[in-house]
Amino acid sequence: MPINDALLNVGLSHYLILSALLFTLGLLGVLLRRNVIVILMSIELMLNAVNITFVAFSRYSPTANMDGQAMVFFVMTIAAAEAAVGLALATTIFKKFREVNIRYFEHLKG
Amino acid sequence: MTADSLLFFILAAMTVGSALVVILASNPIFCSLALAMAMISVAGIFASLNAWFVAGVQLIVYAGAVMVLFVMVLMLFDLKDEVRAFSRGLVSGFFKIASVAVIGGVIAAAVWMSTETIFSTAPAAPTVNATVATKQLADLLFKKYLFSFEAMGALLLIIAIGAVALSRIEGGTHADK
Repeated sequence: MPINDALLNVGLSHYLILSALLFTLGLLGVLLRRNVIVILMSIELMLNAVNITFVAFSRYSPTANMDGQAMVFFVMTIAAAEAAVGLALATTIFKKFREVNIRYFEHLKG
Repeated sequence: MTADSLLFFILAAMTVGSALVVILASNPIFCSLALAMAMISVAGIFASLNAWFVAGVQLIVYAGAVMVLFVMVLMLFDLKDEVRAFSRGLVSGFFKIASVAVIGGVIAAAVWMSTETIFSTAPAAPTVNATVATKQLADLLFKKYLFSFEAMGALLLIIAIGAVALSRIEGGTHADK
């Protein structure tokens, strides 16, 4: 693929590559960070990458269909629910240990 | 370089740059601000894909509601700069970065092969009027996916009650130690 063509014509692969990059960055954040809140933020990044994929496939499918965009709403709902529960868990950890480090999660049982 | 592709590359650079700040900044407040920037850039990406309604919902739900939730909890905690923001351990860190590299390579290969075979010649679907597109989306959500939509509403109610119950354990956030 000539580099000029790739710069001029933005297509499906551009969006998929951006989505893959964003997903990988989010995964890196989930694995490397210790702060529970930053881990939740990285998960939001990964879900956004998935949303970009849905919308891009819906735009570039041979027949125009909006199913991909409908899926984005479900992903957003799940993301909001996950953020609410995760932040409630983070508050529980903070109340006990005055810190939101992921290593305190193991003390929450019982 | 046309205006469309220039817009895409600017938005993509903003998205990836803010994502890098999210995972690298040691102060959680900076992380949340960068995440808001990333959400706004993703909304722009949606708009560049002609998904106007999804772009608006992205701005309202993510850049509005979810970010406010994050920032409120951060201010409740009053966190300073983290001394050790990243996990320790050289060996485990190496394995983590290696596994991320493997997954990134798998995704990149999948994208490469699929675009080579299926989508290289497929043109974009004809663009429709924004009003018509939103009407189509509403038809899908309230007819084809009606049960899933209602289940999502029930899920949100359960989550709201559960979050309140979870954070009320042992007398709220400012209980005496």
